[in-house]
Amino acid sequence: MTAATTVVGSWRTASARAWSGAVPPTVLLSFAVLLVVLLWSLLPGVFATQDPVNGVPADKLLGPSAAHWFGTDHLGRDLFARVVHGTASSVTSALVAVTIGVVVGGAIGLVAGSAGGWTDVVLARVVDVLLAIPSFLLAVVIVSSLGFETVNAAIATGVSAVAVFARVMRAEVIKTRRAVFVEASVLQGGSRAHVLLRHVLPNASRSLLALAVLQFGLSILVIAGLAFLGYGDPPPASDWGLLVSSGKDYPTAPWLVYAPALVVVATVLSVNRISRWLRRTA
Amino acid sequence: MNASYLRFAGRRLLQAVVVVLLAYVFTFVVISVLPGDPVTNTLRNPENGFTEEEIARIVAYYGLDQPVVVQLWQSLSHFVVGDLGVSLRSNLPVTRLVAEVVPSTLALAASALAVALVLAFAVAYGTQNLPRRYGQGVLRALPSLFLSVPAFVVGLLLIQVFAFQLGLFRVIEPDGAWATFFAAVALGIPVSAQVAEVLITGLDHESRQEYAAVARSRGLGQARLFAKHLLKPSSLPVVTVVALTVGELLGGALIIETIFGRTGVGSLVQRSVSTQDLPVLQAVVSLAAVVFVVVNLLADLVYPLLDPRVRLDRAPRKAAGQPGPEQPTPEQPILERQVSVP
Repeated sequence: MTAATTVVGSWRTASARAWSGAVPPTVLLSFAVLLVVLLWSLLPGVFATQDPVNGVPADKLLGPSAAHWFGTDHLGRDLFARVVHGTASSVTSALVAVTIGVVVGGAIGLVAGSAGGWTDVVLARVVDVLLAIPSFLLAVVIVSSLGFETVNAAIATGVSAVAVFARVMRAEVIKTRRAVFVEASVLQGGSRAHVLLRHVLPNASRSLLALAVLQFGLSILVIAGLAFLGYGDPPPASDWGLLVSSGKDYPTAPWLVYAPALVVVATVLSVNRISRWLRRTA
Repeated sequence: MNASYLRFAGRRLLQAVVVVLLAYVFTFVVISVLPGDPVTNTLRNPENGFTEEEIARIVAYYGLDQPVVVQLWQSLSHFVVGDLGVSLRSNLPVTRLVAEVVPSTLALAASALAVALVLAFAVAYGTQNLPRRYGQGVLRALPSLFLSVPAFVVGLLLIQVFAFQLGLFRVIEPDGAWATFFAAVALGIPVSAQVAEVLITGLDHESRQEYAAVARSRGLGQARLFAKHLLKPSSLPVVTVVALTVGELLGGALIIETIFGRTGVGSLVQRSVSTQDLPVLQAVVSLAAVVFVVVNLLADLVYPLLDPRVRLDRAPRKAAGQPGPEQPTPEQPILERQVSVP
């Protein structure tokens, strides 16, 4: 009985602590940053009124100013507008990647952890294989097979994240399966599906959520890396990684690199901070 | 070297072989079965001016008219004996192409690892020995920051400052000592963050133990305590983490080599991707998997020898890729993150 109370109890106090106003200020700031990013991706036109595709050639390579917050690029396009309009693609593709990782990896982990026996052994080797191939290399190979588009980069990133989710999910399932309240539920005649959905999944979800958030930040970096190498949508798309990549050709205009880079760092830092907070309050 | 260790070693070795073979098959499937047939696309490109007959002959020469399973079997049986095939583009043996670029990437990865370890231990030392009020908080935030900055941004920043502003190295000489050093810094920073996180977690855990309190009560200074007592148990998990970051070093080399203009495995991959040189891609990816598996196998085999607390006899079957032996890791410090941060 003690095990059941501790597991359930810690979950309840954790959420109580998390939502009772004890949110650290840095976490609030991180949520604010993500809110801005979200708004940028939903309503780019509201935040950046200038044209992200057609520039004013006379205004090329201007430094940051009141008129152009992030300066202008070699075609005289407002960099701020390009960053804002590239947000949706950068953020959505990271979301797609995380979703693939959570769904596929979570399913593998759930099956491996709850079935045990040979199924577990086989799935463990499958996950080993996914882990053994360096994930960025794997992503590059997958995206080169599927074609150089941001969607494919997202899929590739998601596939390379499957293994991590599968491992965490499996570990969580095995941990929870041993809990007394799960045994109790089985003894009371709960079916396997009932036990999994009602008891195991909810208990695993917190760890999985923290990991998913962490992986979201990581996916932004991986997708930016793929875009940087030119494996995403070609210009005039303005994914963050692509902006940095095209900005690096103008060493005299360093803001072309640092402005989009700063946006990436701020976003990922916020995501990581939130993930850390979720883990700590779990 | 008792029986249980040998049993454990044998099982791990077998697992490693299976994983390498499966990784080869998996890569083959990703490269050959996914939509798009780059070989025929290239051949049918009117610019190349092949007639249908010639195309058929080339396709037959490379065995591309065979069913996929037959192709896979042939390719796998060649791989097992160390034959990686012939590059579609240059017609050279892939083994030679890869052997040419490996030393450069190896040097880069090794330097990056050295940079990462020095940086991680320095940060970890600071978190234990600096006054709580000053510096500690900043140092504790560093790993998180290191994980949030894309490696290409670090690389571009280093080039901007040290090559363009300070003139320490020239971009057109990518193999110079300073150029290699800064490339290694850019590649090593994300790795150092992971090592530092594990170290800090371990150190925090150890310094709360009773033996640490006893040592302090007997008048041992914090620095001595750190060096003599805390460091050793805390750095054991570093072996495992370093082994896991091998993949990251290889994946990250792709981007870092591009930025610093180095010739290496990364640039070979990029060239093969743009020319759809599938045998080269297949070889590089499978070799990367071999390296990862071997390094992690070694780490797993060495670990029980380093840490006598590890018990192998009742070691339950471990999760995928999780280091074999039961480890006295205090808390799971990082959420088993693997994905390389480019």
